[in-house]
Amino acid sequence: MKRVLTTAAIIATAALLVAGCGGSGGKSDSKTFEFWSFANINQKADVDVYTKAHPDVHVKLTEVGTTTETAQALTAALAGGKVPDLVLIQADDLPKFMQSPDNFVDLTTLGAGNIKGNYLDWVMAQSTTKDGKIIGVPTDVGGLAVAYRTDLFKAAGLPTNGAEVSELWPTWDDFINVGKTYVQKTGKPFVDNTPTSVFFQAVNQGSERYYRADHQLDYDNAQVKAAFDVTLKAFAAGISAKQGSFSSGWTAAMKKGDYAVVCSPSWMLSQMKTNAPETNGKWDIATIPGGSGNWGGSFLAIPKRAKNAKAAWNYISEMQSPQGQLAHFVAQGSLPTTPSVYTDPQLVGKTDPFFNNAPIGKIYTQSVLGIKPFYFGPLDGPIGTEFLNTLTSVEQGKVDPANAWNTALANVKNAVRG
Amino acid sequence: MLSPAAAAPDFPRPRRKRQIQQGARELLAPYAYVSPFFVLFLIFGLFPLLFTFYISLFEWDPIGEHHFVGLANFSELAHDPRFWGALRNTFSIWVLSTVPQLLLALGLAHLLNHARLRLATLFRMSVLVPYVTSVAATTIVFAQMFDRDYGMINWFLQLLGFRHIDFTASLWGSHIMIATMIAWRWTGYNTLLYLASLQAVPRELFEAAAADGASGWKQFLHVTIPSLRPIIAFTVVTSTIGGLQVFTEPLLANPVSGLTCGAARQCQTVTLYLYEQSFGQFHFGYGAAVGVALFVLVVAFSGINYLLATRIGSERP
Repeated sequence: MKRVLTTAAIIATAALLVAGCGGSGGKSDSKTFEFWSFANINQKADVDVYTKAHPDVHVKLTEVGTTTETAQALTAALAGGKVPDLVLIQADDLPKFMQSPDNFVDLTTLGAGNIKGNYLDWVMAQSTTKDGKIIGVPTDVGGLAVAYRTDLFKAAGLPTNGAEVSELWPTWDDFINVGKTYVQKTGKPFVDNTPTSVFFQAVNQGSERYYRADHQLDYDNAQVKAAFDVTLKAFAAGISAKQGSFSSGWTAAMKKGDYAVVCSPSWMLSQMKTNAPETNGKWDIATIPGGSGNWGGSFLAIPKRAKNAKAAWNYISEMQSPQGQLAHFVAQGSLPTTPSVYTDPQLVGKTDPFFNNAPIGKIYTQSVLGIKPFYFGPLDGPIGTEFLNTLTSVEQGKVDPANAWNTALANVKNAVRG
Repeated sequence: MLSPAAAAPDFPRPRRKRQIQQGARELLAPYAYVSPFFVLFLIFGLFPLLFTFYISLFEWDPIGEHHFVGLANFSELAHDPRFWGALRNTFSIWVLSTVPQLLLALGLAHLLNHARLRLATLFRMSVLVPYVTSVAATTIVFAQMFDRDYGMINWFLQLLGFRHIDFTASLWGSHIMIATMIAWRWTGYNTLLYLASLQAVPRELFEAAAADGASGWKQFLHVTIPSLRPIIAFTVVTSTIGGLQVFTEPLLANPVSGLTCGAARQCQTVTLYLYEQSFGQFHFGYGAAVGVALFVLVVAFSGINYLLATRIGSERP
């Protein structure tokens, strides 16, 4: 009998081990912390800079996957697993976590109150709760601009110089007209697609998106409708290559020069370099039609159950200082959230040979200055996806443009389960 | 390990007690031996299943609040066009993939079982290659082949003078694309299952049929299929279960639109919808309700298909 009990005990122990309920092993070491980031944004470079300056600190960096996958892994961890000490959260995923701020350390307890003035206030507002808790420190913003092919513009008889091209399209209507000219001259499509390159830019240029300033859901408003309509107008003008952003066709067409223009937030530049290395030097950057706007950006946060919140905070306060973000921009290219460095010669003078030495620092920072901040709510992600998907269906000929707005509203209504 | 039995000889105990001990041990031992499976099944199989039923009665935010809502998730599900669309897609993809796949596997198994086949082992092993290839890799390659502008299939269609087909954007196109990926992966696996069963069929049966003047086709119809009946029933049931839970292919076939497999959800399956609701939007309660609905469907259809499949070839002429 005893043997049976022993066997059962062994099996039970093994099962517990398999189930991962091993309990917390090892004592926490104040010089070590765990950091979860997304892949492909090279946080390792930052970590290396930090550990070089602090050889006694050990950072365990895990690149979880895409931004969405990182948010999913964080959700699972917060719901009842081992949490990291430091985690990177993309701006579109942040509102979901802001719904339950108790899962995170209130960074004002570590001194975030003293440094919050360093950051763009409308970005800081996204990670601050109503009662003043700070959940995340912004690492970068996604300023807007247009990448265009100088060789293809030249062939179409259009100007190629960045400043002149910027003057061609102060508004989206001008942008559409330039597109029509291009199509007439070359017989080829102008812009990669309209849902991402027009709607997702234009909808981020307003003073209100899917929520009112008082945090009430309000996606059926004049500004969203205007962005939607200008997208339909661009589609009707016949200037779209109908290549969905990030698809394999989009990448292939980029390599072959089958479209001349991509509206490219600052974080997209590195993807273009990776996707189409053979187009090196053929691109240039012009300002975005329609004025200031922002799409994307990320935040660093510390989960409540983190073992070593202090070490994580030391990392944040050093690497995300204005000088830290400036150094990251010069090395990696993602746009600082600290306006004090926007006039720094290093930033203003930053050019990129892939984009014909365009002054990317200057162009992108200008696009986030004078922004009209709007409230980010928990349903922003799904709502944006439904609008984008409906406009994609229009491009694919599956939805009649005349019914598109109503179709979109019906889809959004389903998505928000209202 | 020092057990009482090993230490016993020097200290004899009353005989009867020892016998009872011995008997109890022999009675319990088999259960202990099979227990690892059942313990693991309880932890990873039964518990999640029951917990899913439980969660489906809540509005459940994994990192926030939980509210009991009774059957509200299910009544919402009944009126959710996205769910019914996903169900339609799942059945369509399942039929498009399973029927050709099993028929093809039967034919292939019949050919591979042929006595005069040269290099039989090579052919028999090679049908398994798609099965051991990573699903993700297969899906990415197929998605590129079906691309609207730069895909190989459309390049071929253009050579033949046809217009390009936007497979991923259309309902049938995307279903055919995903069904092709599934069939590609599973045909070889099912072929080997059929082949293994066929090899157990006495060769005399075929020889006798041949002696009676039965053609290859007649042999296939009247010897191969009836003798494969149990394994056909098995593959139909496993294909049903697998087909109703197709996930990776639609997830990766149209990655641009995230978790919806297309802008109009044209190839989003029920499992993908479950995943979108639970892990994309953190509606765990609603996602669990989708899971429960799927569970009921899988049980029902597996049962129906089992009954149908066991009748295959049973009516002898």
